[in-house]
Amino acid sequence: MQFEVLATCHTTRARASRMTLSHGVTSLPTFMPVATQAAIKGVTPQQVEGLGITLILNNTYHLNLRPGIGVLREAGGAHRLQGWNHNLLTDSGGFQLVSLNKFTTITEQGAFFASPFTGEPTMLTPEESISIQHAIGADIIMQLDDVVSSLTVGPRVAEAMQRSIRWLDRCIEFHEKSGKRDTQNLFAIVQGGLDPVLRDECLNEMIKRHDKVAGYAIGGLSGGEEKDIFWRIIRQCAEKLPADKPRYSMGIGFAEDLLVCVALGVDMADCVFPTRTARFGVALTFNGPLNLKLGKHAKDFNPIDSTCPCPTCKDGVSRATLHHTATHETAAAHAITLHNLAFQARVMGQARDSIMDGTFPAYLRRFFADYFGDAGYPEWCINALRSVGVDLLDGNPDAKVVKGDGAKWEYSDTA
Amino acid sequence: MSHLSLLRFHIQSSPATFSPRLGTVSLTRQSENTSLEVHTPGLIASTSRGVVPHLSGDHTRASEAIRWVHVPFESFLELSPPLPTLHPGPYPTHACLGFPPTKHILTMSLRDPADDRDMPPNGNEFVSALCLRGVRKVTPDEWRDYVLAAQPDVLVALSDIPFTSGSYSQKRITKSIERSASWLANILRPLPGRHVSAGATPHFPNVLVHMAGGTTPVARQAFSRSLLEPLFDKEAEAIKPLNNLDQGVAGYTFDLAPLHKSLSPTTAHTATKNGPVAAIDLFSAPPAPSVIEQVVSLIRTSLEPLPATKPRFVHSASSPHEILALIRDVGIDLFDAHWAQRAADIGVALDFVFPAPTTGGVSDAAPREIGHNFYDKQYSHDFSSFADTLRSCSAEQDDKRPSCVCMACAPSRPSEPLKHSRLDEAPPLHPPVPYTRAYMHHLLHTHEMAAHTLLTLHNLAVLDTFFAGVRRVLSEQPEIFSQEITRFEQIYDGKLGVLAEARKTWTEVSLARGKGRLAREKEKLKQDTLGTAVELN
Repeated sequence: MQFEVLATCHTTRARASRMTLSHGVTSLPTFMPVATQAAIKGVTPQQVEGLGITLILNNTYHLNLRPGIGVLREAGGAHRLQGWNHNLLTDSGGFQLVSLNKFTTITEQGAFFASPFTGEPTMLTPEESISIQHAIGADIIMQLDDVVSSLTVGPRVAEAMQRSIRWLDRCIEFHEKSGKRDTQNLFAIVQGGLDPVLRDECLNEMIKRHDKVAGYAIGGLSGGEEKDIFWRIIRQCAEKLPADKPRYSMGIGFAEDLLVCVALGVDMADCVFPTRTARFGVALTFNGPLNLKLGKHAKDFNPIDSTCPCPTCKDGVSRATLHHTATHETAAAHAITLHNLAFQARVMGQARDSIMDGTFPAYLRRFFADYFGDAGYPEWCINALRSVGVDLLDGNPDAKVVKGDGAKWEYSDTA
Repeated sequence: MSHLSLLRFHIQSSPATFSPRLGTVSLTRQSENTSLEVHTPGLIASTSRGVVPHLSGDHTRASEAIRWVHVPFESFLELSPPLPTLHPGPYPTHACLGFPPTKHILTMSLRDPADDRDMPPNGNEFVSALCLRGVRKVTPDEWRDYVLAAQPDVLVALSDIPFTSGSYSQKRITKSIERSASWLANILRPLPGRHVSAGATPHFPNVLVHMAGGTTPVARQAFSRSLLEPLFDKEAEAIKPLNNLDQGVAGYTFDLAPLHKSLSPTTAHTATKNGPVAAIDLFSAPPAPSVIEQVVSLIRTSLEPLPATKPRFVHSASSPHEILALIRDVGIDLFDAHWAQRAADIGVALDFVFPAPTTGGVSDAAPREIGHNFYDKQYSHDFSSFADTLRSCSAEQDDKRPSCVCMACAPSRPSEPLKHSRLDEAPPLHPPVPYTRAYMHHLLHTHEMAAHTLLTLHNLAVLDTFFAGVRRVLSEQPEIFSQEITRFEQIYDGKLGVLAEARKTWTEVSLARGKGRLAREKEKLKQDTLGTAVELN
């Protein structure tokens, strides 16, 4: 991997950079759409490519179950299997073991679980995870970590964090022996729950492995924790992580979360949110999400966003037409998915340009005003951005501020 | 509707009333400065809720097979007034549904011609149509207003096809043909304020009539004759300057679904008294050869007295075998692709060509399937492209098979990917590689919707190539056409066993992995005959 920081924001910790992997260049900060089972739901790799997306994510856990390592090896890897010629990242499977499988037991050796197909007891060790990721052939691979829900408290959090460090060492060792270091880049995952002391300990240990990893992820968040705690952990990690490696915040996908993370120094993020919400008929815009299923869109012949370059908006597909087809026809899911992916890419693309231009704070203020101006700014975003020197309420002291997670949503016709 | 122009149909040879024929349908759009041409025999793509199922707009447009779409109107009755009637600007339905007028001819009928489920009865002054909110009564005057506002290129006059359970009495059949004729007369009334210039008609330019009479030959005959009878008095006044109904008719259309249903007594359909109706039978088999023969004979009865110069449309044919018989024995010009699109819904990639391949000692072998059920385990490690009979973009130069130009067998890279910042570099372009059976197998078993997208694109392309093969034989060696059909029937399984097998595996996978998909699927089938439900999780 080549990683080059091209510009840093004069005020915040945001930076724009260029990451060169075996399948091309991806400029950062970027959002990575999720193709869990080797397909972004409903759209073809050619369509994703056309949207200007150069890095997507596959899930190791799922691909290991289906199609299985044998098929992946025969296909020549996941790139070949799905016809995707650009960069690819795989997670290690640790998160899915916990989120999808109630009966997972973690031992020092690895994660012990029952196969969802056969019920057979199966062991996923750090070595096995890396070996599967080698067969998948992703450009960025993740260490197996011991994942606990971000709401977990007590000694289990420390144990998981410390085990994640030990498992990182096993992943590094296995990866180095494999001879795949030139083409596949291993990322460490910082754990430690919501406890700043544990996070710090994890950061210290993982930063010691600086020369053996290609980048760092911040894991164990986005599990329903309070946003005010979430951003503090992100800030703590991003601040301490070395500047010469990319930083990846796992499971982040709301536009406001993305921009706060970027301002705190994060380079990459992934989430199923934009694609999943599309299937429920929600289109993302710079003025907030539109729930196209609502009756108020039934006779609206405007496109989702007349300034959007995605195929759906460029064709002028109206909100009314999408209202008619959304959640009934897969074609509507595809149309909104294309739009939402373009939206995420635009949010991040504009962040890149504004960082290069030295106007990132102004971009943040404009984005939040457009997105939340009428509904009210989430307080946690104001706090998070103040911590890196940007005051969203600058020049607008009377703006409405809302507590809680502040996510914006079109719930009903009357809202 | 001043910009709507007449559909022209040119038959190359001057054939007998019932013989295979080569033709061209053309539609010139003066305002768009384009002329659309569709060669016949050819295909019309079916839609569900106004879209070709599984295809986003860019895919629909990029598919060379989709030149003509058929849009059932009934789903739009959920909104009042219906959506396509509200769309601003010219070509409202085209614009509303994302079919560029420069690329697509668009036909509109009230009902989905593939929907043969039981419905509440029609009345003297209305047809019962189905939408998500239940059954809606649509009167001939309302239909006229709807199409006047929606402005499809071609419209199908309302007709009274009974979809109630049980057999139909003579009285019911008589009523059916009388209503159908009177509703046709209604739609052929001159349009208010339509300026009649050279080449334009005072009424709707392109009206198709569904040939009524059901499975009763005398009734079909009576209906056809009624189209030719000169009208008098009030009736004549109403359709002036037309002398008879047929003069205002641009073509004849036949929905096979109700005929198949009546002629195949074994097919059990759940009767409901007041609709909404039971789900479509996922396991219905294609009609037996004897049924196809009867269908041919019924259609001939209808067409016999009518001019042979107008295009003939068939909806809901259910196999290439039936299509070939209708081309050979009747001279049908256009067929919808409903069955081929339905095959994509259930995981089947079509794989057949006309003329059938000549290699191998086929005569002794078991009949070939017309496609592949990619749910089947045998494809899990199969890295070849979708079809054996067609070549993909990675085939050798000297490969003599016809090529499949679909986006699965010959994916095209975007010429200019979007750029979202000035740091973004155009990614290197790699030569396209066809999608594999193993990947489809994986996508189907993991419920990925992209499987159906690629299969839809493929199946439409295979059917389009099939029609091109038919036209080539008719043009270059018409004398061997019949022989080639016989050979096709010998080589390819007419029972479409692969579809039956796929329906079974589709259901099994849905049950095993569907997380409620099967329930949603049944919900969707209550409304539409095509497409699968959105995978929400």
